[in-house]
Amino acid sequence: MTTYLVVAAFAAAYILIATERIHRVAAALWGAAAMVLLGVVDARTAFFSEETGVDWNVVFLLLGMMVIVGVLRQTGVFEYLAIWAAKRARGRPFAVMVMLVVITAVASALLDNVTTVLLVAPVTLLVCDRLALSPVPFLIAEAMASNIGGTATLVGDPPNIIIASRSGLTFNDFVLNLTPIVVVLVLVFVGLCRVMFRRTFVYDAEKAQAVMELDEREAIEDRGLLVKALVILGLVLVGFVSHSALHLEPSIVALLGAGAAVAVSRLEPKDYLGEVEWSTLVFFGGLFVMVGALVEVGVVDSVGHALTEAVGDRLLLATSVVLGGSAVLSGMVDNIPYVATLAPIIQDLVGKSTDPQHQALWWALGLGADLGGNSTAVGASANVVVLGIAARNNHRISFWQFTRYGLVVTAVTVALSWVYVWLRYFVLA
Amino acid sequence: MRARDLAQEFPTVDLGDDALVAARTMAESGRPGLVVLDEKGRACTVLPGSQVLRLAVPVYVQSDPHLARVYDEKAADELFGKLSGRTVRDLLPDPHDHAELPVVDPDATSIEVAAVLARMRSPLAVVSDGDRVLGVITVSRLLRALLPAADPASEGEPGGPVSNGEPELR
Repeated sequence: MTTYLVVAAFAAAYILIATERIHRVAAALWGAAAMVLLGVVDARTAFFSEETGVDWNVVFLLLGMMVIVGVLRQTGVFEYLAIWAAKRARGRPFAVMVMLVVITAVASALLDNVTTVLLVAPVTLLVCDRLALSPVPFLIAEAMASNIGGTATLVGDPPNIIIASRSGLTFNDFVLNLTPIVVVLVLVFVGLCRVMFRRTFVYDAEKAQAVMELDEREAIEDRGLLVKALVILGLVLVGFVSHSALHLEPSIVALLGAGAAVAVSRLEPKDYLGEVEWSTLVFFGGLFVMVGALVEVGVVDSVGHALTEAVGDRLLLATSVVLGGSAVLSGMVDNIPYVATLAPIIQDLVGKSTDPQHQALWWALGLGADLGGNSTAVGASANVVVLGIAARNNHRISFWQFTRYGLVVTAVTVALSWVYVWLRYFVLA
Repeated sequence: MRARDLAQEFPTVDLGDDALVAARTMAESGRPGLVVLDEKGRACTVLPGSQVLRLAVPVYVQSDPHLARVYDEKAADELFGKLSGRTVRDLLPDPHDHAELPVVDPDATSIEVAAVLARMRSPLAVVSDGDRVLGVITVSRLLRALLPAADPASEGEPGGPVSNGEPELR
């Protein structure tokens, strides 16, 4: 009976999260509270169990990176980079878009997607204003680039952080398995932008000159702080790459980096904590407790066993279903709860196997969940944020305006990802 | 001191006036805001100077101070040129705000005027006798009336008295 009640409470909370009838944080906390009232969760299982409790590695990795971004943001480096790029492109609209897309994708691989678009979107509006171009295609392209770029690494997108924590895959595993296809996807995406937004690229030499007159060096207020922040970011990246050799979890690397950034910057807490999305961290907490309850009552185990039997040795079919299904569902519901729920099931399916076909399930989950976010205007947090920034600056982007491009980009990138997974893990493995 | 004693001359603009003209009027009059008249010529609201700046400076620059530094002077001039073609109505934050006018009776005490300015966060209050506007009271005018005269010993200190009734530029 308890099992049915747990499943019902989980489903109810999930529906509330998906439909946004109440704020997702409230829904996750209500769900977690229901699990406690049903007697499935207590302090030990919620806070100290690796299998059923809050995944502190995920929470603290996110917290550490948010603090580092909080310090980095004070330097003006993103504004510098974006204006520098627009000037290198000599104000040619398509070249400007390519530069901004590449900067967004690379930054998103290292930082949170939402943070990246928050930093790049204002400077995009400025550059488009100078070029007398509509910023809408540029902003849409950047949101999508951030979702594609974020797929490349362990720290690029929250679903990847959850996958890494559940699977034990390292930062380098992500770089070796996801970064190559993401590089291809970014190149293809640039080509798609050329076709999709072709009417935008009208060059005006006089307007281009207005961009050339911007002084990007003025964006950097404190060169000393910039140097310190970049050195720390570099050391954090070295820490990620070597975390398995150093026997340090990525969360510890991020927290050490955050501590160092705070110490050397000497900023006030309101400055570096301003970037911390506390609501997201609390949402994760509630979500982990909800999923932990499903594990506790044996639902995840049962679904995992049933799927293992159903899949048998048809791993290519299972991988394809996970990739395609994740892409479709992530366009409709938040990919964080989706991956948090599916990760323990995939963990059961993969078991202790280290062969490439089994591991491919993890990569399929990451690629599907991350890239699927591009399909609709509400599929990823970065999309929602970009729509909000555009609206505040009197450039309304409708749901369908975004989605009609998003569906094309998602279809192409997921199809290419499927070819990559099939070739790499099933044909050439 | 009563509101009628504090009232000063005031420039007015109409809701349909060009926003750039309104900004120039504000600059030339040296007032922190303008009285806006409705279609019937009655004072309907106050246009604060900060609202003019909010429309002239793009939202993305307001939200990202680093970007404000990358503009050259020519670009800054162009930003304010964008006010041309917009109307005073566009400058007002919310159409519903038209209904709320920081108005005081001629007999209002200085504390009553201060209360209206503080409550409505307005840079000036309109002194009105029925539909007839007698003048405006700015925050600086009110403060000069309210603050006790400084001790001669402290002359020259920040906040000390000024010779011509206007604040010193520091």
